[in-house]
Amino acid sequence: MRLLEHRSAQRHHPGDGVLRRLVDEPAGVPDADRAHVAGCPACLAGLAEARADAAATATALSAEGSTDVDLAWRRFSAAAPAPVHAVAPAPARRRHRLMRSPLVAAVGVVVVLGGAGAAAAGDWLQIFRTEQVAPVQVQTADLVSLPDLSDYGDLQVVSEPDVHPVADAAAAEQETGLDVPEVATLPAGVTGDPQYLVGGQVVAEFTFSAAKAAQAAAAAGEPLPPMPAGLDGSRFRLVAGPGVAATWGESHGIPALVVGRAQAPTAFSSGVPFDTARDYLLSLPGLPDDLAAQLRTFAGDGSTLPLPIPAQFATSSSTQVDGHPATVVATRDGSVTGVVWVSDGVVTAVAGSLTEDEVVGVAEGLR
Amino acid sequence: MTRSRDAVRPDLEQVFRADYPRVVAVAARVLGSRDEAEDVAQEVFIGFGRTSVPADEASRWLSVAAAHTALNHLRSGRRRAAREQAAPTDHVTPDVADDVVTRDERSRVRAALARLPRTQAVALVLRHSGLSYADVAAALDLSPGSVGTTVRRAEAALRKELIRHASA
Repeated sequence: MRLLEHRSAQRHHPGDGVLRRLVDEPAGVPDADRAHVAGCPACLAGLAEARADAAATATALSAEGSTDVDLAWRRFSAAAPAPVHAVAPAPARRRHRLMRSPLVAAVGVVVVLGGAGAAAAGDWLQIFRTEQVAPVQVQTADLVSLPDLSDYGDLQVVSEPDVHPVADAAAAEQETGLDVPEVATLPAGVTGDPQYLVGGQVVAEFTFSAAKAAQAAAAAGEPLPPMPAGLDGSRFRLVAGPGVAATWGESHGIPALVVGRAQAPTAFSSGVPFDTARDYLLSLPGLPDDLAAQLRTFAGDGSTLPLPIPAQFATSSSTQVDGHPATVVATRDGSVTGVVWVSDGVVTAVAGSLTEDEVVGVAEGLR
Repeated sequence: MTRSRDAVRPDLEQVFRADYPRVVAVAARVLGSRDEAEDVAQEVFIGFGRTSVPADEASRWLSVAAAHTALNHLRSGRRRAAREQAAPTDHVTPDVADDVVTRDERSRVRAALARLPRTQAVALVLRHSGLSYADVAAALDLSPGSVGTTVRRAEAALRKELIRHASA
């Protein structure tokens, strides 16, 4: 009872945070609070408890030991054999590094889902990336709920690809600068000459905004994970294309055969390290845990690309095309099978109302 | 590896030598293992090498990155599992931390840390790594007044976890 009377007699008990700071940084606590605590049994009890918890935590987190900095530096230099006294990163180099990142794929997916306006045959080409393509199976619901990055900043499509038909392969080549793939032998049932579609570059810019991210998190009813230093205001620029698609015998919206080729997307950031940005994106509210976990596994060597495939509608498997790792995608109803691979920064895909053997056969026979 | 073609900031070695022990210490508080912490520190400095973070903010940046990266490792558990498989001799050469906290307790502490809200976990680790309240506030975009509250909550949660398991 005396304690209660005492507390009620005080005008102001400092909060737990102040008591905690008294434990190890008392100089940061206002004199008035210090004076109060010194004469308040309730606050002194709280202070003692805070002190005990802090000490227990310090013990629990203790990980003393010596560090050999010379050895660590040698290991670091060996693992990162770049000229460690080199000048600041050139944009092109940074771009090269970042184009291997799942982050770019995440942005690329948003660009595709956001309706960049590419034709059906070109839609999925835009989420491909360099070096290697690996599938991430996701449920359709996950695709729909992939975090719309416009909630976390400003997403601006700077230029749309302007997909349009051209007369022939020569015109496609001239417009895109790509070697238009020629099919050596058409599979049984596919006849005639293809129609050619070309698309120019799609360019999107995304600027991370802490304020927007906080709003989005509040709307999702979840706390926004603490944002790494420097991410707020960071800009990511994605450039994909140009691309070309040759289409045979389209009917009912499903082409008999499509052969597509596109320049793999490139991107660069304004400076936040990829790992930091990726981990933060992965921690944002709204990204399904399973998908996030799968995306995270791509961080190992940074050379694979998550290729979201709706698990309800399609399956995927690995194969090889001309020695390049390739991914086979097949719809569960058997209506469409495709194979995609990357070589020298160019993505090529073959798909159609065909069997796996047929699409891989066409892929192997491309000239 | 493209890394060999990546250019890095010119002051990297200087910053590395000055801050490496601190970065390892931060990560070790999270992971409870200096070996793992050194792996995290290498990762953090690779990232740092590509940034243009001003030199006078490097220490804070590195500490925050170390805490986040180590917590990510903790959450994924990948590194730990891989290391335990690859290096069974770990058990006969325990970390010095084992002198203070038993292996069992240590894993409970890591599990409890992994369950804390990220802000609490980072604030806790940074404060116990010696960052001032003002530095922790700046690093986490908190008001300086709320750092104490955040750290206090984390410590209370940690204590509850440890007591709960100890009495179980």
